[in-house]
Amino acid sequence: MASDFPLPDTQHPLTRPFWEAAARGELVVPRCAACARFVWYPRERCPGCGGDAPSWQPVSGRARLFSFAIVRRPLFPAFAELVPYATGLAALDEDPSVRIVTRIVDCELDALRVELPLRAVFRPLRFPGLAREVVAPLFAPAV
Amino acid sequence: VGVRVDDGHRPITLLHSGAVPTAARDWGTAAPLDDVSRAVAIAGVGEADPSKASGRSAVQIGLQAIERALDDAGLAPADVDGLMTAGGMDDQLGAADFHAHFGTRHELWTSGEGGGMAWAATAPHGAARALRAGRARAIVNVFSVAWATQRGEMRGGPGEFHAREPWKAQFEAPFGWFPQPVYFATIARRHMHEFGTTPQQLGAIAVACRRHAGLHPTALMRGKPLSLADYLARPMLVDPLRVEDCCLISDGGAAYVMTTPERARDLRRPRVLVAGVGEGRSGTGLYWSQQPAFTSTPQVFSAPRAFAMAGLAPADVDVLTLYDPFTIVALMQIEDIGFCAKGEGGPFVEGTRLHFDGGGLPCNTHGGLLSHAYVLGSAHVVELVRQLRGEAAAQVPNARVGVYGGYTGHLASTLVLVRD
Repeated sequence: MASDFPLPDTQHPLTRPFWEAAARGELVVPRCAACARFVWYPRERCPGCGGDAPSWQPVSGRARLFSFAIVRRPLFPAFAELVPYATGLAALDEDPSVRIVTRIVDCELDALRVELPLRAVFRPLRFPGLAREVVAPLFAPAV
Repeated sequence: VGVRVDDGHRPITLLHSGAVPTAARDWGTAAPLDDVSRAVAIAGVGEADPSKASGRSAVQIGLQAIERALDDAGLAPADVDGLMTAGGMDDQLGAADFHAHFGTRHELWTSGEGGGMAWAATAPHGAARALRAGRARAIVNVFSVAWATQRGEMRGGPGEFHAREPWKAQFEAPFGWFPQPVYFATIARRHMHEFGTTPQQLGAIAVACRRHAGLHPTALMRGKPLSLADYLARPMLVDPLRVEDCCLISDGGAAYVMTTPERARDLRRPRVLVAGVGEGRSGTGLYWSQQPAFTSTPQVFSAPRAFAMAGLAPADVDVLTLYDPFTIVALMQIEDIGFCAKGEGGPFVEGTRLHFDGGGLPCNTHGGLLSHAYVLGSAHVVELVRQLRGEAAAQVPNARVGVYGGYTGHLASTLVLVRD
């Protein structure tokens, strides 16, 4: 695996806009210009209508907690310092079939419930032994 | 040592250009398989010794499984003229290993469309085609892993492939949604939300597997009984899953010998015939996060085809083995094969329903991946054959119809076996 796993490759041509937007505090998702469908995960063409070059569009960052897991014991060295942590899927208000994988932060782990309203927040991902850090969208309970 | 959990499609390719379903009912497909009903017999089975880290290689383990399967069938190595393996794994034995070990040098038809996981169910389909075409007369399907041995070196194992997969590396792993126990804990939580499934119900699956392992001579969890109260008292690993909801990591493997039903009649073991084979796939590939039917498996596409080919129905099944990397995967397959309605798997598995002695749907009577060994489904088929011959350790009385439900990444498969 890559030496700086689990940090993402922010220069990947198909995902670079996602990480650039996160760095300025914005959540963007590719959307087909022809049929307006969100295209998640990113693809070169819209799977719905075949339209080319879906473009990255900002979304509100409002979502609901589709489901989640609470990692109580370390499964992997990079995440050991985070344990216990909640990770799961945020279903966007704009289209709940778009599920963003996220960590759920600023919350009581035991108070998390499926369908909890969430909002995107932007935080640096840092891992032990890695100098690089990447700002990413995480989700917190919407209050 | 990568694990192929995708049968030839690079996941990235699938994302960029694959046709992807948009309607919830259209989230996957069934493979169009030839009718091979009763065109193949399983004439011999063999299990390598399952173990924790043993220092053995996957090749050594696989060869031991083949020796035992040939001994069971009453065939000599020179009688084998076909070899099926897991083509996507680079540590599996090949024809050269077979010849070096057995001192043979004859022509071997080989196929990479075999091995364990989903392929433990679909290998008989490939074998049937080879038998019909006259390419081979006796075909061994073999699968082995040395993942317990390799774990010390951080090589192999189910997580390695996923860490390298580009979209997981971009959008999943950075958020700690990695590796497999996290995916399936998330699926289990959603199943609980949608259907009211409880920890006690997941625990019933773990308890049944452990009880069966206690009766199996080589199961790794033999001698380690687990009650439902024990299960519930165990700490969460990835909430809502406990360690007991997750499979072992093991060294081990298994092999089975396939030939024509006519030839099998002349061999020494009772005939077990392949009655039906099915294969289904999810259109969202390895991205469980995006699968529209989040709490389903592609068994909904695979199982109906296998039963139709067999001319049988779920109600006809006497004994079941399910690919059980996590209890929730067994639960979803029970629903998706059609043993109960979707969402009713929880109440269905409660109590002793899955136990071998009068439970109604005896399941993983060898202990499964949860309590026998993590040999990725290969031993599940061996166990079914033993059940149908009446020689299993936890024998189901008069078992005539057996089903293996395979599951691997975006694939599910169904193998229906019948006693002659």
